[in-house]
Amino acid sequence: MERRKFMRSFMAGVVACGLIPLVDKLPKPISSRLKKYLRPPGAKPEKEFLDACIGCGQCANVCPNKCISLSGLEKGLENLATPYIVARAKACILCMACTQVCPTGALTPLEPTLEGMLSVTMGTAFVAEDICYSYAGRTCGACYHACPLPGKAITLGLFEQPHVNPKYCVGCGLCEQACIHMPQAIRVIPIKDLGTQT
Amino acid sequence: MRKLDTGKKLLALSIFTRFSVLILLCLLGLWTEYLNLKMGYNNPRLVELSSGPAMRVFYECSDAFFSLFGDPLEAAQTFGGMTWSIRLWGVPFTDPIAFFSILVRDRSLEWGFVLGLILPITLVLLFGRVFCTYICPASLLFFTISRIRRLLGGFFYFPNLSLSKGFAWGILVGGLLLALSFGHGIWILILPYFAMGQTIFHGIAFGTISVAFFSLILFSLFDLCLGQQFTCRYICPTGRFLGWMGSKSLFSVRRDAKKCLPECHICYDVCPLKVDPKIDDSKDCSLCGECLVACPTKCLSIGKVGETWVKLG
Repeated sequence: MERRKFMRSFMAGVVACGLIPLVDKLPKPISSRLKKYLRPPGAKPEKEFLDACIGCGQCANVCPNKCISLSGLEKGLENLATPYIVARAKACILCMACTQVCPTGALTPLEPTLEGMLSVTMGTAFVAEDICYSYAGRTCGACYHACPLPGKAITLGLFEQPHVNPKYCVGCGLCEQACIHMPQAIRVIPIKDLGTQT
Repeated sequence: MRKLDTGKKLLALSIFTRFSVLILLCLLGLWTEYLNLKMGYNNPRLVELSSGPAMRVFYECSDAFFSLFGDPLEAAQTFGGMTWSIRLWGVPFTDPIAFFSILVRDRSLEWGFVLGLILPITLVLLFGRVFCTYICPASLLFFTISRIRRLLGGFFYFPNLSLSKGFAWGILVGGLLLALSFGHGIWILILPYFAMGQTIFHGIAFGTISVAFFSLILFSLFDLCLGQQFTCRYICPTGRFLGWMGSKSLFSVRRDAKKCLPECHICYDVCPLKVDPKIDDSKDCSLCGECLVACPTKCLSIGKVGETWVKLG
């Protein structure tokens, strides 16, 4: 009798947990249609990152730039409590403090050196040439001067027109933060190899 | 001077330690702000101009505190996390539930993460479910609610439902299944202390209300409307797991059967976790000391479980 009661409560508990995904059906802002987010530096590929991240918030806690936020329900249950960066609001300065503290290895430990920086794969910057000031002949170059790897990730052409080199661009987003055009003419797409994606 | 008995001392200690944990969680959120100011200004005067005099005081105090451990910026980064997975002076502490969640979903384990289990597990094996009364910041909220219930108990009727222990085990398994299919983030909706940590961190560091806040409200309503400390007893999977692990703990409540009155049941009535010292059942005991205060003959004590522990039934 006791065992039967236990089993019934046990099933009730499992069913009660099954109700939690219903919160995912709540209305959400339009921005949640995005499927990819800029993760902190050193993050594993998205699927492995979500497998390993337990949402403890230590990366957000040690970020001296306060650029890492923890997501709420708006990005769906899969991304609940995981860290993300909005580059236009505040971009990563690649100090690598968050990679050193991640307890579960969702962020691979990196050193704040040139080699460490180059092994970051947050994404790739993409220039919208039709709205960029420099491409319209009005010399700007703000993104180049903000880039932590100038001359490598971003090279300048005529009128300081930025050219992104996807081989070196790590996707920190400092160029996107610095862009003086509204909306930003240079954006970080959270995919490292833009060429392989369709 | 009147001498305080052990029960009252333990109660006072548990309130003090839980308050300290709560304050620590708030400090961890504030230290994020401190790091940002340290990196950005590194000057108390500029901090005062940008964030006000209160922030300047906090900035200078944190600066003085972290300077004890060397470079303040680096020292401040050895702290972080929530009660779920926390680092203090670089020492990691891991929640067993987080460990299971990772075990189920990821299966690749970091050394620091596994070593963080040692201290919590030792604590459980020695003292039982002490996490629930001495560390869990959410239990401070539920403790307050239980006192409100006791205070208003003369005027209103508060039900005191009971459930089988299977419910919390079901929630643990269901939560692990959810973690497998969605992500580890769902635990912020299930575990009260994690919800508390999220709420505090979101509130202080980002100035937003976390979803976890609403699950905290839900748990508080359960406590108010369904039963005294209902969440701790029947819902919290961590409590159930720690209770199971600590059922053979070294230290627990003991009873002197000679002094105990046969018709008195007050220890069972006041126990927040529905342990029954009357029948010498000390599973789930979290050493909170409520029964020690309530016992009319003072036949209960806390100590090493040994020969004096007479089993009656």
